[in-house]
Amino acid sequence: MKKIKSILIANRGEIAIRISETAKKMGVKTYGIKTSKEPGAYYLKFMDEIIDFTETISEIPEFLDIDRIIFAVKEYDIEAVHPGYGYLAENPYFAQKCIDEKIIFIGPTPDAIYKLGNKTIAKQLASAHNVPLLEGSSGNIKNVKHAKQLAHKIGYPIILKAASGGGGRGMRIVEKEEEIDKMFRLAQNEAEKSFSDPSVFMEKYVRNPRHIEFQILADHHGNIIHLGERECSIQRKHQKLIEESPSIALNDELRAKMGESAINIVKASKYRNAGTVEFLLDEAGDFYFMEMNTRIQVEHPVTEIVTGLDLIEWQIRIAQDEKLGIKQKDVKLNGWAIECRINAEDVQTGFTPFLGTIEQIQIARTKNVRFDTGVAEGSNVTASFDSMLAKLICYGDTREKAIQNSLNALSKLYIKGIKTTIPFCKAVLNNPKFKSGDISTSFIVKEMKQSFHQEEDEELIAAFWAALNHNIQLDIEDEKYVDYERGKSMTPWLMNKRLKSL
Amino acid sequence: MDINGKIYKDFLNRNERFKVQNGPDKIKKQHDKGKLHARERIALLFDKDSFEELDAFVTSATPDTGFGKIDEAFGDGVVIGHGRINGRIVYVYSQDFTVMGGSLGAVHAKKILKVQELALRVGAPIIGLIDSGGARIQEGVASLAGYTSIFHNNIRSSGIIPQISVILGPAAGGAVYSPALTDFVFMTKKTSYMFLTGPDVVKEVLNEEVTFDELGGAETHARKSGVANFIYEDEENTLLGVKKLLSFFPSNNLENPPYVEPDTKRNDETDKLRLIVPDDPNKPYDVKKVIELITDQDSFYESSELFAPNIVTGFARLNGKAIGVIANQPKVLAGVIDIGSSNKAARFVRFCDAFNIPILVLEDVPGFLPGLDQEHNGIIKHGAKLLFAFSEATVPKVTVILRKAYGGAFCVMNSKNIGGDYNFAWPTAEIAVMGPEGAVSILHRKELKNTDDPKKMKKEFAARYRNEVANPYIADEKGYIDEVIDPAESRNKLITAFETLENKHVDQPSRKHGNIPL
Amino acid sequence: MMFSKSKKSKQKFIACTQKSKKYEFTNPKELYIKQGKENIPIEIISDKQGLVFIIWKKKKYLVDIIEKNQNQYEILVNGVSYPISVESPFSYKRRKYLAKNKEISKVERIQAPMPGKIVEFLVEENQEIKVGEPLLILEAMKMQNEIVSNIQGKINKINFHADDTVMKDDILIEVEK
Repeated sequence: MKKIKSILIANRGEIAIRISETAKKMGVKTYGIKTSKEPGAYYLKFMDEIIDFTETISEIPEFLDIDRIIFAVKEYDIEAVHPGYGYLAENPYFAQKCIDEKIIFIGPTPDAIYKLGNKTIAKQLASAHNVPLLEGSSGNIKNVKHAKQLAHKIGYPIILKAASGGGGRGMRIVEKEEEIDKMFRLAQNEAEKSFSDPSVFMEKYVRNPRHIEFQILADHHGNIIHLGERECSIQRKHQKLIEESPSIALNDELRAKMGESAINIVKASKYRNAGTVEFLLDEAGDFYFMEMNTRIQVEHPVTEIVTGLDLIEWQIRIAQDEKLGIKQKDVKLNGWAIECRINAEDVQTGFTPFLGTIEQIQIARTKNVRFDTGVAEGSNVTASFDSMLAKLICYGDTREKAIQNSLNALSKLYIKGIKTTIPFCKAVLNNPKFKSGDISTSFIVKEMKQSFHQEEDEELIAAFWAALNHNIQLDIEDEKYVDYERGKSMTPWLMNKRLKSL
Repeated sequence: MDINGKIYKDFLNRNERFKVQNGPDKIKKQHDKGKLHARERIALLFDKDSFEELDAFVTSATPDTGFGKIDEAFGDGVVIGHGRINGRIVYVYSQDFTVMGGSLGAVHAKKILKVQELALRVGAPIIGLIDSGGARIQEGVASLAGYTSIFHNNIRSSGIIPQISVILGPAAGGAVYSPALTDFVFMTKKTSYMFLTGPDVVKEVLNEEVTFDELGGAETHARKSGVANFIYEDEENTLLGVKKLLSFFPSNNLENPPYVEPDTKRNDETDKLRLIVPDDPNKPYDVKKVIELITDQDSFYESSELFAPNIVTGFARLNGKAIGVIANQPKVLAGVIDIGSSNKAARFVRFCDAFNIPILVLEDVPGFLPGLDQEHNGIIKHGAKLLFAFSEATVPKVTVILRKAYGGAFCVMNSKNIGGDYNFAWPTAEIAVMGPEGAVSILHRKELKNTDDPKKMKKEFAARYRNEVANPYIADEKGYIDEVIDPAESRNKLITAFETLENKHVDQPSRKHGNIPL
Repeated sequence: MMFSKSKKSKQKFIACTQKSKKYEFTNPKELYIKQGKENIPIEIISDKQGLVFIIWKKKKYLVDIIEKNQNQYEILVNGVSYPISVESPFSYKRRKYLAKNKEISKVERIQAPMPGKIVEFLVEENQEIKVGEPLLILEAMKMQNEIVSNIQGKINKINFHADDTVMKDDILIEVEK
């Protein structure tokens, strides 16, 4: 087993920083990519060496340019690539190219990425390996007639989903037969536009499910373990906003059952390295496999905190062919962790992205608080990249304590210059239903009267601040001394010339 | 005089009747319409206790036309006089809507002519606070003649004393010409409007339904016609704006503009200037940020902000001394020059030239806006107008090329050969006959035709062109640019440049006036 | 925070929110807010990093002016946005007057957002239309753009035909509300 000595981090922002921190800890040299869109980005400060991609040589965005990245890895003689999340992380061609060029790809095999990346194949794998699935189409829907037949068999409500992508696009819920014609066409169009593949499949639609996902690790020696669950039910338009580990909905028995299903998928797809198996958990306690994410995820910190493991470290160790030294029985979930995603969005106008420059960030770093961020003072938030600024992860012995610590940390998290989702996170954490754990993926829509939290006298303070500043400004203007005499005096040269020419 | 005798008592009684006429009920009438009374406006504008009214007791002419009873009100609907604003003498006329609807009759007009005449005689600025129902129909041609004389005075004073019009109520029909002739126009949103023909006539003749605001309100004139240079939400702020504007003007065309001590507590953030212009020439940025960092803290006062936003015009101070700033705005239409912006900038330049206000040009212009619309509407003439205005101006003129300066637009924006005194460039400057993409399409036409990947080749050629031909150092070496400067040094360089140009004067052979394309 | 005391006595400011709720302050530079009959003092802290906090009634609030245009402010308090306009007693009365007497334009003119060629009109005169209803297809810059209605009403006049070339801001359709 040869230790990896150098890694190219083919990503940016907070995950690039995250990966570099563990790499540094392990004595691995880090290479980062500089792009023309943010040549002064914060993450570059954490790299041992920077590779310059600022020259525009092609239309392909830098972090998606497979050839350019491979070329750079070879030019700089780098041993491994960590793709982070998004970008090329779940691109089987990229993974394959790395292998072809004898570069270590820190992640699963191309085959596993491909199979699990296609929802239809993934479901087939699940169904063949004893993993519970939502009743649905086996494969893509051929046409509207097929859709109608199937929906009738499964029973409404059903949901149509894009086979080649997620994030809510190409997704349509159909409540009754009259709508299926229109919804099918709409779903196909959207899927075509977003993923260049109009294929959609169908599933039974579960109302108010919980989104429960299991973190797994698998080495190249046949050892597979799961690291417990994360509950990610607080979502808006299928984008996760608040995640926690463990989940209040799971007892040991359910955890064991779901964990076993997760491991089955891993086995069936011959998956290696870190990954996440997503399930829906309905109100009756039944769970259904949704999909598997073949990469490290944004919300991995909550698992790290309750298990005490460094997942990035294990990714690198597995990639360099080490054996997982931990057995399933050794995996313990201690206490509770909650992660709040801090995005540059204006909550009050429907979470529209807010662009601007971060003038200041201040956080009270106490022992129960972890703050993973990709931005610092002076960072620009632009339309070129997604709006996530940072993740605030707080720990507590119990869920109540974790919530309390999160609220404390949020009240001391100050970001000046842009609008963020901090008031939203406060609203969720103060919500009684959230506090009692009574949550589901429809939480934001159903249980929140207002999407942001307001303290009692905030408006009064805002009014005062405006009035005070206005007062100050008016007084400054009023007291400004305008010296007219200076304008009346001029040199004889000028006076003479001016008078003569008139 | 016996202070208890009849003579003095009569004097006091007359003053009493005057106070009664202008009592609280009149003020309430205006307030109920969301407007201030004519005298309240004067009180806000002028320094405390400095206003002296003239002709307060004149009464209207009394032609017996039988049209209707004419109010024997004092003042005939307008308040005139002089006072001090920030310590300097200014003349004013403020139309009083509560007296005969502020309508203009012979005596009303004569009063306005009086202050215009006085202002011209002593060389002091004049402000018109307009709030009038228009010509007083009962007085017939006398009203029209009154207006015409006012226009004539506007024109006689143009370029000699600063004239500002503040529209605080209706201004309709011929009355709108006076503001149009003055140097700057202020309007208050929603309670003021200007148009030649009102909505009722429009409805009658064209069967088009429009509201007063749509046709000639503040936003319309600020955005669409460009007639209004400054608009505010309410009257108090409008009048504060007038004061602010005046602080940049000399009292007449023989004086230099006044001085305001710069805020010495200013953080020196001039190195931020280096970060504003992106390396990628196709990326926009806000040139107002550049203006704010170069000029004195909080001194920039933008004129015609909403009209032709692809060019920015406004007043500012450099080390206390007033300057006029003209800057292309890359984040609107990529900063091209079009008909609207040519006109806006040309008038601004000529005002600065008339009143000895030095000019600073910040250039980042890729050219003129193409298209049938522009060409058919005479962009040639209008662009030439701006060229004429810059060339004709003999005040100190300094240009800083921030980024693009291509072709004809380079010539127009105060280049050296039309009289720029100092021309600087930032390292990001690109000075060329045309943009790199266009240039290489022509220069390398043959190679581009014969290659398999013309797009890639074009990009490479363009990058080379940018580096080798369009860089500012070539112009620098040939003397068309005086110096390529570090953006962080801009403020200091400009302060020094303008200081050395304080005594500038250019002798011109005498002529009645040039023939600027209009 | 350093500023000089006002030379003018008793300056009244009325801060208005979007929902027309008002807060009155007299001489805010004296740093207190009246509650009932009491004047409760306000403390302003500005730390080295430029963050500004207000402390009032023992609670700490992060304040930031995120936008200012003449007398319209957008203030962030603890990250929550509050649009406030600062009025004088007179301008406040004026606001109320204007709100009551809003001129409601009866006709909405749909203008061409850019020069181009009309491919086809999807509506006809006298047709009732809703918000978001597609009105016409305009081809410009090699793309077909669907122009939709932003109001509800009845089509009064259509000023062009299919295949006509239009300039920016040309009035294409007049809708009566």
